Amino acid sequence: MRSIHSRLLLAASVVLAAFLGLGALALDRAFRDSAENALQTQLMSQIYALLGAADTDAQGRMRLPETLPDPRFSNPASGLYAQVSGEKGEYQWHSPSAVGRRLPMPGGVASGQPHFVYLPADEPLYLLAYSLLWEDDAGAEIAYLFVVAESAFGLQERVAAFRKTILIWLGGAALILLLVQGVVLRWGLKPLREVALDLRMIESGTRERLEGAYPRELRRLTDGINSMIQHGETSRDRYRNSLGDLAHSLKTPLAVLQGAAEGGDARLLREAVSEQVPRMNDIVQYQLKSAAAAGRGAGLTHKTLLRPKIDRLVSTLQKVYRDKGINCLCEVAEDVLFPGEQGDLLECLGNILENAFKYANTTVAIFLESDTERLPTKGVRLCVADDGPGIPFEVRERVLRRGERGDQQMPGQGIGLSVASGIVRLYGGDLEIGESDLGGARIAIWMPGRLQTN
Amino acid sequence: MRILVVEDEANLRHQLQQRLVTEGYSVDVAKDGEEGLFFGEEYPFDLAVIDLGLPKLSGIELIRGLRRKQISFPILILTARDNWQDKVEGLEVGADDYLVKPFNMQELLARLNALLRRSAGFSSPQIAWGPIEINTLHQIATLDGQEVALTAYEYKVLEYLMLHAGKVVSKSELTEHIYDQDFDRDSNVLEVFIRRLRKKFDPDGNLQPIETLRGRGYRFARKQPAT
Repeated sequence: MRSIHSRLLLAASVVLAAFLGLGALALDRAFRDSAENALQTQLMSQIYALLGAADTDAQGRMRLPETLPDPRFSNPASGLYAQVSGEKGEYQWHSPSAVGRRLPMPGGVASGQPHFVYLPADEPLYLLAYSLLWEDDAGAEIAYLFVVAESAFGLQERVAAFRKTILIWLGGAALILLLVQGVVLRWGLKPLREVALDLRMIESGTRERLEGAYPRELRRLTDGINSMIQHGETSRDRYRNSLGDLAHSLKTPLAVLQGAAEGGDARLLREAVSEQVPRMNDIVQYQLKSAAAAGRGAGLTHKTLLRPKIDRLVSTLQKVYRDKGINCLCEVAEDVLFPGEQGDLLECLGNILENAFKYANTTVAIFLESDTERLPTKGVRLCVADDGPGIPFEVRERVLRRGERGDQQMPGQGIGLSVASGIVRLYGGDLEIGESDLGGARIAIWMPGRLQTN
Repeated sequence: MRILVVEDEANLRHQLQQRLVTEGYSVDVAKDGEEGLFFGEEYPFDLAVIDLGLPKLSGIELIRGLRRKQISFPILILTARDNWQDKVEGLEVGADDYLVKPFNMQELLARLNALLRRSAGFSSPQIAWGPIEINTLHQIATLDGQEVALTAYEYKVLEYLMLHAGKVVSKSELTEHIYDQDFDRDSNVLEVFIRRLRKKFDPDGNLQPIETLRGRGYRFARKQPAT
């Protein structure tokens, strides 16, 4: 069951069938009950009519006449039968219609209480028994049991006819409801088909985004897809740019090496190689890292818990710089979320923390700081401070831009801060180098108002 | 000091081996993770240099395997993929340091030296006992501040004993740590080295830095000599 349409239709059909089935059953039951009630009343009237027509004999005892009120009593096998019996076999009478058949005489019928039963047989019958007391001329009371029965065929035919009618009507209604349902579903699911169609158009290149007027329920989905498309394009552009930059910036050192090789001086060549190899390495590292960083997913909101990543990095660096016995103070609460992809966070923070551990004398501190300059636009900065020599004001800009230029004129400074700065900038944030209260450098990462504390 | 190098790239493996041997280490090389694990389990190394991107068994798996078997020599990771995810993972499974390719050979040697010292419980490359001092970084030994000329093997024996001062070091242990597996060993040579070391550092026999324990091996004195 892969289609929403068929799922909904199946569910609706099952519900519809159940409801209509139950409805039909209830109607059938009600009709039958009411027909039986009507029949009972009719049979009771027949008994009263027989009583009304009854004569008396010489002693004043009840006797039924030759001519009966309903002509059906007179025709054999007409379907309406009557039988009367007096107390202790005093009188036995049956209507001419009942010739050749004996109607059962139910016992224990209280006087004045009609007793109605259905008797299934070759000719099923509805039977009403009624007992009454008759006073003769001598004043003696004689009990007579009247039994009137009517063939059930008539009632059964009426019930069958009724059933047929409701089946036709309810069946018709069900069919119409299903059709309407189908149409409603098609109409309701139309936006999904449109999205699928639009996506196919994007795949085939005839469209760039999902631009239709989609219903509210789908807008999150379509916005998400648009964001992903946008993100894909941005990443592709970035890869292309990075590769272009990479090729471009590798050409200079390659030219130096080629020149040195062609010059034929072994000492110069060795010098050129040892100078240019680290430079090329930095260029490759910086450009590839920038390309690999996920960056801001244009609406795809990555959020990473900051503290666990800091803890992992710190314990790694504590191990590597074990000899220095660095005291690392982390004042970042457990529930702070970093608005970035976790690989980017690890890369960015790893580089900054490694620098701090490398240059610190005794202490590295990691903390959050509200950025008063940027308030009230929600500024929280993540800071890493150390008590090392710090980074002189004049070279800070160059340290951060180093990777882009493959600048090798920065003794003692790795490419790490430049990589971190590049990643932060991908998110639209920035990285600042300053002085820390501890005496060394302080690196502050600002993400555009999105470093959240819960 | 005996070092295991696990690196799949033949050129780099060869360069590393050459350089480390030149620096006075005994070096065994493995070209993939499985071989590395086998060597690591089989021989008593003092340190391993492991590349992360290895065939058959990745570097991470290899380190995990070694640590799971309670093999505790220090491990330095070499990685071409310079990302923190790998570094953190490597150190979390039990490595002690990392170096990103391409690396400077001097940097590698300094890191190895630091790891070896650290694992022996020394924080400085200078290890001194009375007038005898060695510098594990520069691999020189001095007596009363005067450099003593030692052969590579003499230095190795002295360094090993001093790094394990106070501990009885058997002849076979000493042999295994100063020679690599391809070397034809003769433990009688050790006696010659010890005799020469005693002669060079304690010509008068006053200091007695190296004690011979008959049938058990040698022990470098832990307690500083009375001056």
